[in-house]
Amino acid sequence: MSNTFHDPSTSDQPYKDPTPLPESIPRVQELGTTSAYLKSAAFFLGAHCKEFNEDFMLCKAEDRDPAHCLKEGRRVTRCATDLITKMRENCLKDFDLHAACLEKNNHEYYACRKPERSLNKCMFEKLGLTKTIPGSPEGKTPIHLVEKPVFTTIQK
Amino acid sequence: MPPAGGFERVKYKRNLPLRGPSGVVILAGVLGVCGYGFYRVGKGNLEKRELGREKAWSRIYLVPLLLAEGDRDTYRREQAAVAREKDIMAGVPGWEAGKKVYHKEGLRGPSRIVVL
Repeated sequence: MSNTFHDPSTSDQPYKDPTPLPESIPRVQELGTTSAYLKSAAFFLGAHCKEFNEDFMLCKAEDRDPAHCLKEGRRVTRCATDLITKMRENCLKDFDLHAACLEKNNHEYYACRKPERSLNKCMFEKLGLTKTIPGSPEGKTPIHLVEKPVFTTIQK
Repeated sequence: MPPAGGFERVKYKRNLPLRGPSGVVILAGVLGVCGYGFYRVGKGNLEKRELGREKAWSRIYLVPLLLAEGDRDTYRREQAAVAREKDIMAGVPGWEAGKKVYHKEGLRGPSRIVVL
């Protein structure tokens, strides 16, 4: 333990966590995915990991203590890792394109409909997952399927 | 006496060049343009609501994942803090490491987090 800051990238030793989790807690690899990819995958994450997510949130509603829901939390992370791995295996090109587009356009979905549609198509064909927005008005085209929306980017 | 062939016809017709569309047409045009604009605004408002819903749900779907990760980190830091406290206060008899200052049940988040 020292109080000076050592930049890990310039260190000659690999970074070692001085205070790791106790041994009694099973290890789980953190997802480590960046925000644009998470935003791109959010709806598939909701569809693919619905049970684990709901289980975790119900557990959190029971008790907000971080120690209370570690097990459910590990399941959530494992499921998310599983989905991201599958997406990378099956739709890497579309996934990359959509994430790059989001990164370029202030993380706005409406600016990236074209890559989003190809990603959605690929996800449905390969993994059978569809994007649904809960609470959308019945009988109307969901916003991500509207052909000529009012809100578009100024530059095409 | 009149000249041969009679007098020239009196020019009584007014010579007014065309002055553009009438007021009624302009009014109708203005109303039409405004009406189309308001139609687009209304459509845009409905669309904006749906875009907001989409954004909200994308965040809702990410909450469990981010919360789980944050919880693991908070738990690790809490455990580390308790271990540190135990180490520092080893020589003090009757000291309980990690004991809360409040006796009430229920979670109070850590008042500070030591980043090491």
